[in-house]
Amino acid sequence: MFGFRRTIQAKGPDRFVVNLGEEERSVLRAVCEDVVAALDDDANPLLRRVFPVGHASDPEIEAQYRALVHSDLLRTRREILTRVGESAFDAELDRATLDKWMIGINTVRLVLGTRLDVIENHMPEIDHDDPDLPAWALYEFLGWLLEMVIQALSGTAPTAGR
Amino acid sequence: MKRSSTRASSTAPVEVDKPDIGHESETETPWVVLVWNDPINLMSYVTFVLQKLFGYSLEKAQGMMLDVHEKGRAVVSSGSKEKAELDVFRLHEHGLWATMQQD
Repeated sequence: MFGFRRTIQAKGPDRFVVNLGEEERSVLRAVCEDVVAALDDDANPLLRRVFPVGHASDPEIEAQYRALVHSDLLRTRREILTRVGESAFDAELDRATLDKWMIGINTVRLVLGTRLDVIENHMPEIDHDDPDLPAWALYEFLGWLLEMVIQALSGTAPTAGR
Repeated sequence: MKRSSTRASSTAPVEVDKPDIGHESETETPWVVLVWNDPINLMSYVTFVLQKLFGYSLEKAQGMMLDVHEKGRAVVSSGSKEKAELDVFRLHEHGLWATMQQD
């Protein structure tokens, strides 16, 4: 790495500077809006990772669990993704908003990873003319950004100034 | 849900007892909450969420994460059925694949 500026730089316990370019921020906002729109269709199979099965072996119990919690999970997910999209161009975030970024970016990765049928913990070899190449690049970008957010939140990134 | 074929046999959810939602459970047997391996959630994310939700040390959370990663699952909390239900919900809020069962 030649750059010394952290992508997400902690400036204090509740203040984080976001060093992202306009293009990256636009991408983040767009994918959040895409997933918010996808949440409208509960039956969308791409959402199955976002709403994990709690009781896979018993459809009846699973149905009870979903009836109890699904609307809450759906509502908070929509709120979080909407907030991340709204704050995508903010120069600074507080900890609560950065926490929403973490959950929101992870949610987008779950949807995108499901769409790409991810089966391993690393990126497969993709031909340069593979039609899924842009989606894989986006998946990798979001993974990198999520790592930056986690490092900032967990305090493993230095808090010194840039 | 797609997973690595080498881990497929160890990551299937197991049978759980029927939740008695809305009623106080009198059972003495503690419930455990399991997190299952998946190929999408980052290892650092799983570790951080376990620290955030349960207040675990980095070392403890990383140990649980590695169990999830290498053994396919790990027990991340235990207690009353009500506590287990809440913990599963909070883990699902964070996109982790969690289930509960009576130990």
